[in-house]
Parts: sequence; C-alpha cells; structure tokens
Amino acid sequence: MPAGGSAAAGAAGSRPGSPRRRTVIRAIPAAAILGASGCTAPPARPATFQFFNSHEAAVVEAATARIAPGPADDPAEAGHPGAREAGVTGYIDKMLATLGALTGPAPIIFAGGPWSNRHTSGPDLMADFIPLDPVTIIAWRKRLEGWRKQYMEGIATLDSLAGGDFTAAAPQDQDKILARQEASGFTSLLFEHTIEGLYANPEYGGNRGLAGWTDIGFPGDIQPRGYTPDQVERSDGRDPVAATGIVADVLKLLGVV
Amino acid sequence: MGKAVVIGSGAGGSVAAMELALAGWDVVVFEKGPNRFSNLGGEGPIGTMFSNDDLKMGVRNFAGPDPLVFPRTWRPNATVPVQYTGSVNDLPQLVGGGTVHWDAKVPRFWDIDFQQLSAIGPVPDADLADWPFGYSDIAPYYDEVEKLIGVQGDLRAMPDIVLRHAPRGGQFPMPPGPQQRSSVAVAAGAAAIGLHPYPFPMAINSEPYNGQRACNDCGFCSGYGCPVVARPAALIPLRLALRTGRVTLVPETMVTRVQLTGSGAAARATGVGWVRMTSRGPVTGAEGADLVVLAASAIETVRLALLSAFPDASGKLGRRLMMHSFLDGTAIFPDERMHAYRGRSTTQCAEDAADPDFPGARAFAKANGLPYIRGGIMELGGSQDPISEAQAYQTLLGLTRPAKPFGTDFKQLMRSSILRDRLAGCSLVGDDLPYLGHTVTLDPTVRDVFGLPVAQITWSYGKYEQVAQQFWIPQVKKMMAKAGAAVTLAVPDTFNSGGLPTGSHVMGGMMMGADPATSVTDSYGRVHGLDNVYVADGSVFVTSGAHNPTNTIMAVALRNMRHLAG
Repeated sequence: MPAGGSAAAGAAGSRPGSPRRRTVIRAIPAAAILGASGCTAPPARPATFQFFNSHEAAVVEAATARIAPGPADDPAEAGHPGAREAGVTGYIDKMLATLGALTGPAPIIFAGGPWSNRHTSGPDLMADFIPLDPVTIIAWRKRLEGWRKQYMEGIATLDSLAGGDFTAAAPQDQDKILARQEASGFTSLLFEHTIEGLYANPEYGGNRGLAGWTDIGFPGDIQPRGYTPDQVERSDGRDPVAATGIVADVLKLLGVV
Repeated sequence: MGKAVVIGSGAGGSVAAMELALAGWDVVVFEKGPNRFSNLGGEGPIGTMFSNDDLKMGVRNFAGPDPLVFPRTWRPNATVPVQYTGSVNDLPQLVGGGTVHWDAKVPRFWDIDFQQLSAIGPVPDADLADWPFGYSDIAPYYDEVEKLIGVQGDLRAMPDIVLRHAPRGGQFPMPPGPQQRSSVAVAAGAAAIGLHPYPFPMAINSEPYNGQRACNDCGFCSGYGCPVVARPAALIPLRLALRTGRVTLVPETMVTRVQLTGSGAAARATGVGWVRMTSRGPVTGAEGADLVVLAASAIETVRLALLSAFPDASGKLGRRLMMHSFLDGTAIFPDERMHAYRGRSTTQCAEDAADPDFPGARAFAKANGLPYIRGGIMELGGSQDPISEAQAYQTLLGLTRPAKPFGTDFKQLMRSSILRDRLAGCSLVGDDLPYLGHTVTLDPTVRDVFGLPVAQITWSYGKYEQVAQQFWIPQVKKMMAKAGAAVTLAVPDTFNSGGLPTGSHVMGGMMMGADPATSVTDSYGRVHGLDNVYVADGSVFVTSGAHNPTNTIMAVALRNMRHLAG
C-alpha cells in the first residue's frame, strides 16, 4: 500500500473522483473532544413542497437546522443565517422533485451559463437549466431514485429514534439522534445536501438571498465582471482568525499531522 | 486522401483532426460526451454553458463522465480484488476533453524526461525506456502548439534550471497575467528554501487571442469550464479542422470497436462500430474508414484497443499506466485572507524538484536503496471552493467532535475559512515511473450503460514514488513555513483517497518505440501490426515526466500526425 494508507485516510476516501486536485486536505487522524449547544427553533418555511409532504418537510427542516443552525436554532449563531434561513429544505425538495422532469426542457440538475445577473444587467442565464442528454438522464434517474429512497427511510428512522416524531423532540435530543449510529448514513447525506443548499448558486433553490455566501464572506459567481489585477495581487491586510474552540482544535489537529 | 475516423475530441484528437483535415482527409470525429460549446466552426467568440458554479462542476460533474453510467474499477495491485467502483481519475468526457476542466498549465517536459533511461539510468522494478525522440526533436512542436492555442509566460523570468533542461527558442505568445497573492506568498517561501519559482506558463489568454476573450481572473479555473472561453485549447484545432469543411464532429457517440480485417502483416482497420443512447434505448452503427486514430485518453484508448482485440506482440498493451505522483501541501495563514479564489489557479510554479540532482536527493535515494529519485513541478498557491471546504470540515468534525459532528462548530469553521480563504496550497506533480504491473484491463464483471466491460485500473505508488514523496514532504512543509504559514501539512494525495489515484493525469498503456518486441506503437504512434491505426493521446507516453502532460500530448500528436499526413 502507498504511504498513508491508514484507517483515517480510508474513511476520508469516501468521496473520491473530485475533478479538483487542489482540494487539499480532507482528513487526518483521530482526536475526540466534545462540543455543546442547544435551543429551540420557530417554524418558518416555504408554503408548498413538490416532493415532501408537510411532515417529511418538517423533519428535514428540523434536522438540517441542527446541522447548520441559524439564529433561532443556536445562540452562538446570532446574526448568522443557517439552513432554515437559506432555504435548504426547499433546495432538497426541488432536487428530489426534478426526478419527474429529467426528460423535460429544464430539469434542476445543471444551472445554465455563462453567468447570472448578479454582476451585469440582463437576464439571469444561470436560471435557464440545461436539458440532459439521454445517458445523463439514466444516471440522474438512478441517483435521484436512490436519494428518494434514502430520504423516506431516513425520515422514518429519525422519527422512530425520536419515539414517533422527530420534530417533537427537544433540539438536544435531535442532536443526539442525528449522531446515533443508526442514523449516521442519513445524517451524512443530509449534511452533504445542507452544504449544497447553503453554498451552491441560488438558482438551485437554496442559498436564499445569498445567505450562505454572505455568512462566510464569499462573493460567489463573479462573471462577467471578474477581478481586477489589483484585487488578484494585493494583500487584503492583516485579519487574524479567532483561533478558539473548534477552529483551534482543527488547527491543532492539522498541525500535528 | 481518404477518410479518417478520430476517436475523441480532446487535446490529442483535436490536433489529429486538424492535421488530417488540413492535409485533405475527410474526417469524422466521434466524441463520447456532449458538446457544451456553440459557434465552434464559426468566426469570433466561442459560446459556452460553463459558469462560476461549484455545484455543477465540483459535485455534479457537468463535464462528465457520470460514474453511475460509466464507472471504472480500481485495485492497488494484482494480488487483491477490486476495492473500488466509480470514478477513477476520470478525465472530462465532452467536446474538448481534458482541456475543458484544466487550469491550462503548460510547462514543458525536460530533456531527461525523453531520455530517462539513458540519461539518468534504470530503476529496479520499473520498465524504464527512452522515447523514440529527444527534446530537440519535439521542441519545435511545443513552439507551434503554444502559438496555436495561445500561451502566456515570460522567458526572462524563467530560471536557468528550466532553460537548461527545456530550452526555448523565444518569448511566449502572451505575457503573464496578474500574479495571485496566494501564489506569490508561497513562491517567496520556495525562494527562501533555494527553489526557483516563476510565473507558471499557461494556455490562458492574458489578452485577446484567436478571436477569444482575455481572462478576467474570475477564479473559477481549476476544475471548471471557462465561462468566457479564455483558455480554448483543443477548441482551436477543432475549429480549424471544422473550417476546412471536411470534418464532421459527432458528439454523444461512443466508439465500441475498431473493426479489423486480415492477419499478420496484412492486418488493418476497416472502420469503427459505435453506439449512441437515445430516449428509446441504445442505437448502434458503423463508419467505414481508411485510417483510424485513437485519442480517447490513455485509459479509454486502451479499453477500446482491448475491446477490439488489437494485436499485442510485445505484451505491453495496457501496461505501464502512469498517473503522476502527487503531493498535496496545505499552508494555513491564520492572520491573512489569501483570497486564492481570485485569479488563474496557481500563477507561480517551481520545477527544481524534477531534478534528480537537487541537493540531498541522490543521498536520500541511496540511503533508501535507489539510484535516484525525482519529484516534479510544484504548483504554488492553490485553494478550494466553499462546497469542497465544507466537505472537508464534515470529515474533520467526525474526527474532532464525534458526539456532535455538526452544528455551530461547522458554521464557525466555515466563517473562519482556514481551509479556503486562509489556505494557499502546493501540489507537487511527481514523476510516476512505468511499471509493467500498473495496468488497464477489462473488468470481468462491471459493465457500463451500454453493457460493455469497463476499465479496471491496477495501480499504486511504487517504492521510487514513495521515497521521493518522503524526501519532498519536509521540503514542501519548510517552504510553506518560510512563506509565513502557521500550520503546514503535506501528504501524498492517496493519503486522503484511500489509495485511489486522484490527479487527473493519465498516461501510458500504448507506449511508443521503434521495436515491435518492446513497444505497442511505433515511433509515430502507429499501432505495431495494424498498418492504418494510430494513437494520438497520452497513452503513447514512454515515461510520465514530472510536469503537467497536456501540452506534451498536443505536441506529440502534432509531430506524429504531421508525419502521417505528410
């Protein structure tokens, strides 16, 4: 085996095939420390869903708000929109619903291009989704059917671990359920889709009001404007990170390797 | 002139189509994937559907292939069963091929890359050989490719070690663009440890060129299709081919077999069979041809050769698969946001690590029982985008917060951006030697969407690659510390992938050589034993070099196809 063929590396290798080699870093050895948090959250969601029924949507909303909490979900997130505010449930619903539209003119799989209207006048060309070729339709049918099944089973698992209704459990109990071994596969999938719903271009249905990008200071798509040579070359100046809590722990972990 | 079929429309296939069409051949170019461009054969700017969209490219793989319909399998060596089915170093599958997702870095191979066996010597277990030509033979074709597709760089900024091993006749067609803050910072660290960084030559327009736009440094570069087509690469020879009026480009159509007739010295191709998916299922067909050129990229070209039962007198067909030996370096700058998301994905490089005589390298090799070691070119200052950053935290939270691997900790990490905005990395593209045991074969059980056996990859780093990595890891870390990073980390790419190759550089399997007993294709890429079948992609490489391979693929294709076309 090549150097570094450790258990940690193997576990981290669950998402290979990324075309980006410079995606440096995915994981490292083990070190276990505990986190904490907990608070209640008010309901706030789009009126209608295309795929989820109202209970399923409520479970996904509650779970994704634990994964990426907003101001209403965790006091540490005051002023920081989370999954709820970014519309992550709507993003997931739209994605799963597009199974029925894969052969149509605009399945919600690949947003158009070459740019949106965020940095130029004119239409948002990213809002024109691209029709799929026949082979790609087959692949996405398979993928979305698999995800639909995982969502139905996963929601049932969360409800069952909560004694019937996940949404009725206290936030701290919801956290514990999401971290349970029985739910780990579904939690991992929800985490991946929460990430996408927070940080993907808003045309896909999440990142509402650019909430995800704004919170992390990422400008997002920048065409057709691009950056000036000065913006590329200059130092933006000293801006020390607050190296406390989880940030300190991750820096420490990475520094040890 | 007759009719030629070219299989694949990427770096090699585009050049083959151009050369053949300009010489008067009628050419049909089959491309397995779709066409995401408009106005290819016309005048003025080429249109595209690519955009600044991390989900579309990084997650949903808009450039294809989708592993649910076109998987591959992988095992580290032939003594163990397949360990993975899915994407294995896939290159984009669409019109333009690998020149669509690349960030267009075009360093040249060194003189010793073409003569590694005779110039530096053999390495135990490796099937080292010289190429059938040397640097001085291929240099004019490098020049021509640079002019053809448009390359930026600065001869005056190039260090002696590069010009000694890869001399240039003159200045680049275009000057370098803005230098990224992140690249310049890491380059300063490189200089501090005795390396010689310089502006990375790249096939990106720093000014309008070929009727295409200048790059505006949007930053969605490595891993993305360019939204303004400022790095058209293969699209330029494709355009020149289409403009002859003798070329037909057929996308979404997979060649499944090269049809052969005769045997022995009379063996030759008569055409190809193809399959295309429609809404009513697969449709098959055939195309007769006087000449067949395979340019589907190293792994898929070998797969097609195996599906077509090519003659294999040397026993080397599908052997000597090379991927490059990658090191991933991570430098975290807690006191400054390095904004590597602006600009052309690593604007500085250093080539010193390709030198077997780098101070200390020979002694380290000897201490580990090897005659020498080589690293390769370092790409300085890259980072990643929010979705892949978030995925990294998802993994790290599982290790640091197993009781609750999500929540505000996740969001705090995202706001800190230690693995994006404060990150400036280093990718080292190392020499991966040719081993007879590193192979592409037909998987005995896994099939693609058309029911055909997929490519099974058998590959892992050998001792040479691992020793070179162990020598260069501390150097890379030292470089990043000198650059001012507070946290530095360097690991082989396989550390994070469970052993799978990750670098999207694929070479070998149809090696060139003068002797049919020891090579698969002749000195010009013609398949030994098949009079009218040529190969024009990275599969003909004899060694992997220690540099990004695409411009070398194009230069070699240009040399070989010009020889053929006369």
